[in-house]
Amino acid sequence: MNNVRPTKAPVNEHNQQERAVAGPLGRLDLRQIGLPIVVIIMGLIFSFSSSNFMTASNLRNVGLQAAALACVSFGQTFVILTAGLDLSVGSTVALVSVASALGFTQYGWMAGVIFGFLAGFLVGLINGLVVTRMRVAPFIATLAMLSIASGAALNLSGGTPISGLPDSFTALAYATVLGVPAPVIVAVALLAVGYFVLQKSKFGRHIYAVGGNREAAHLCGISVARTEFMAYVVCALFTALGGFILTARVATGQPSLGESLALMSVAAVVLGGISLFGGRGNILGVAVGVVFVSVLANGLNLLGVSSYTQLMVIGVAMILAIAGDQYMSRDLRARGGA
Amino acid sequence: MPSILEASEITKSFPGVKALNGVSLALESGQVHALVGENGAGKSTLIAILAGVNQPDSGSLKLRGEQVSFASPVSARRSGIAAIYQELTIVPWISVGENIVLGNEPVKWKCGQIVSRDVADETARNALARLDAGDIDIHMQASRLSPGQKQLVEIARILALDARVIVMDEPTSSLPRREAERLLNIIVQLKESGKAILFVSHRLDEVAEIADTVTVLRGGRRVLTAPIGQLDRHKLIGAMIGHEISELYPPHVELQKTPLLRVDGLTRRDRFANISFELRRGEILGFYGLIGAGRTEVMRAVAGADPIDTGAISLDGRRLAPGSVAAMIASGIVYLPEDRKDQGLALHMSVQENIILSILGRLSSYGVIRSRRVSALTAELVKKVRVTGALDRAVVNLSGGNQQKVIVARGLASGADVLIFDEPTRGIDVGAKYEIYCLIQELAREGAGVILVSSELPEIINVADRAIVMSNGYIYGEFDRAEFDERAMLTAAFEGLRTGKDEVAVL
Repeated sequence: MNNVRPTKAPVNEHNQQERAVAGPLGRLDLRQIGLPIVVIIMGLIFSFSSSNFMTASNLRNVGLQAAALACVSFGQTFVILTAGLDLSVGSTVALVSVASALGFTQYGWMAGVIFGFLAGFLVGLINGLVVTRMRVAPFIATLAMLSIASGAALNLSGGTPISGLPDSFTALAYATVLGVPAPVIVAVALLAVGYFVLQKSKFGRHIYAVGGNREAAHLCGISVARTEFMAYVVCALFTALGGFILTARVATGQPSLGESLALMSVAAVVLGGISLFGGRGNILGVAVGVVFVSVLANGLNLLGVSSYTQLMVIGVAMILAIAGDQYMSRDLRARGGA
Repeated sequence: MPSILEASEITKSFPGVKALNGVSLALESGQVHALVGENGAGKSTLIAILAGVNQPDSGSLKLRGEQVSFASPVSARRSGIAAIYQELTIVPWISVGENIVLGNEPVKWKCGQIVSRDVADETARNALARLDAGDIDIHMQASRLSPGQKQLVEIARILALDARVIVMDEPTSSLPRREAERLLNIIVQLKESGKAILFVSHRLDEVAEIADTVTVLRGGRRVLTAPIGQLDRHKLIGAMIGHEISELYPPHVELQKTPLLRVDGLTRRDRFANISFELRRGEILGFYGLIGAGRTEVMRAVAGADPIDTGAISLDGRRLAPGSVAAMIASGIVYLPEDRKDQGLALHMSVQENIILSILGRLSSYGVIRSRRVSALTAELVKKVRVTGALDRAVVNLSGGNQQKVIVARGLASGADVLIFDEPTRGIDVGAKYEIYCLIQELAREGAGVILVSSELPEIINVADRAIVMSNGYIYGEFDRAEFDERAMLTAAFEGLRTGKDEVAVL
């Protein structure tokens, strides 16, 4: 019989070295440092261009704007990590807004909260089922849900905003704790929860596995369907929270609330370093992405740039971010050849 | 004492084909049971059933004498059966340690949902240590592992599961020789620690090295099961094909050769440098090297699929402009990719559609494809390459050998003078390999120039007229047939990887 003792693993040094230089570590560092630096530079530019930028009230404004977007983006993160997409987040916010307003105005506080979360939960449930059971591509499934939820919101509200929400609720949007707006605290708490779940829990690690290599996850006994399903539910629930924040801010149940959130949340997620192909990226990066988008919008506002132009700017930023992502990973992928 | 895992009369059908027909097989603890057979014989289907990926239409599975059935890979795993597949199941963007405990994460706290990092890390480290691979950093991102290391991590995963039965589907097929050897040693180690191992491989020398028992499948049926001592290569191959085949390679023929293709100083930063060679009509030029040597990159550049920084490519004395596949195909240079499924074929299109893919323009009038022209051409080509079966079948349903032939037919359809075969016989059974070699020789005989990129030295030595050895992006050796020497060529293949210490492997 041949030599039976296992031979010591020969270290292919050259290979290792090549990979270390070209490896994702370099890329991660760039990503992790890159965007925060851009945000800081942007902040500096804006504070020089407008005397109003660096004021406490303006920063509080940015925080308020960012809070709802943050909640939605954190939810979107779960879905995009599984290589999915949730385009229905905008109309989910609208539906939650209308549902909770109905609850608040007709049955009181408890009802408002329950109806709102229930609406979000239903959206997530249906999205999850359509994607995992009916095997519809996430893009199509959530696009359809966008339409459905929007229609439902319009139906429930009769097409007009619902007013008469209890002051105790709407005041929450402007309450502060130690000078920090309540919605910001909610968003930060959600970030902590999201981070903990994604990094420390089985469910979170399974999300990364499913997104990173679906087949491998399946063969290792992970329930891909269940993981994906839960991602859509989590996304919808996080979005519902964002919906509550926005509803409190505008003090009405609005069927048209959150229209641009689908685009903005995906922008924040992508800018934050989450790959659309799934399985890579950190939710902390998404927080930076949210800050970037919000500071950009705020700064451009102060400079008098119209919100239409702002949309264009965000779009361009997204393309650059994704193209940059592609460029860096194409280089890496090509190196694995024979 | 009952076998640890026994499959009885397993039958499984897929649309259009009966993959397994009453197959029975028994695995014993502490033994390696090899499963061999041509592609399409049913080996992968059987493995899928044992691992819980699929369920049999009829027949039973018994674990230590007790009837079991696996609804999913999870239940098979829980019963102590783990599988390693040909395609690596590594999740690239998480750490090595996480890959090892994937699906098997240890948890803490009552809710059972929070991963215990410490236990996970220790489990991962222990598993790697048992494989003498303790130098792999468990916190490193798995995408940075070499293919051999990835294979080790997969085995570490199996060890962490403490599986009693390990099923391996061609685990060495994408590994370079040295890593394959190490894997075989590990398998022997596992067997000696009491595991039952089912080992599928096309490499009969590996089977001869480590197997205790061999089962041969043919056309979905079990044809032969015997202890290794009673078998020889001859008998095995005979059983696999159903008839005797005296050689693995067709006899070599010397042909008249005139210059055809000339490549000068081809360079692409970080991929290859200074590649120069000549190819003559009627010649089979082998390109040998280890995985990662850069041969595919060079060939893709020659074929116009990738750009180059400097260098010249000339055909029949005429200089060609690089970087356009369509232009290269029109000039007569065709590249047949190494990865059939991902790069070579439109899987859900039919045989016929795939064959004419490159030349749709020629077969159309005013943008509309002419079906009569198509049928005539494809019928002729299919006969030439000997693809069996109906032309309107989707290629995804074909065996590996047939798929490869379809790719060749497509190359021929465009009237190629230079055909570049990149690992054409990977994952293909013995009989189909022989046919591909015959095909290559026939193409050379008819005046084409053939480049054969291969990582199997015996293949190059038996089939090629000349061989060029690449290592790490450079050419390190050029051998005429008379000079063919395994040791010298292997040494050349390792040359580019020397790190200054004398680390050339002795095999």
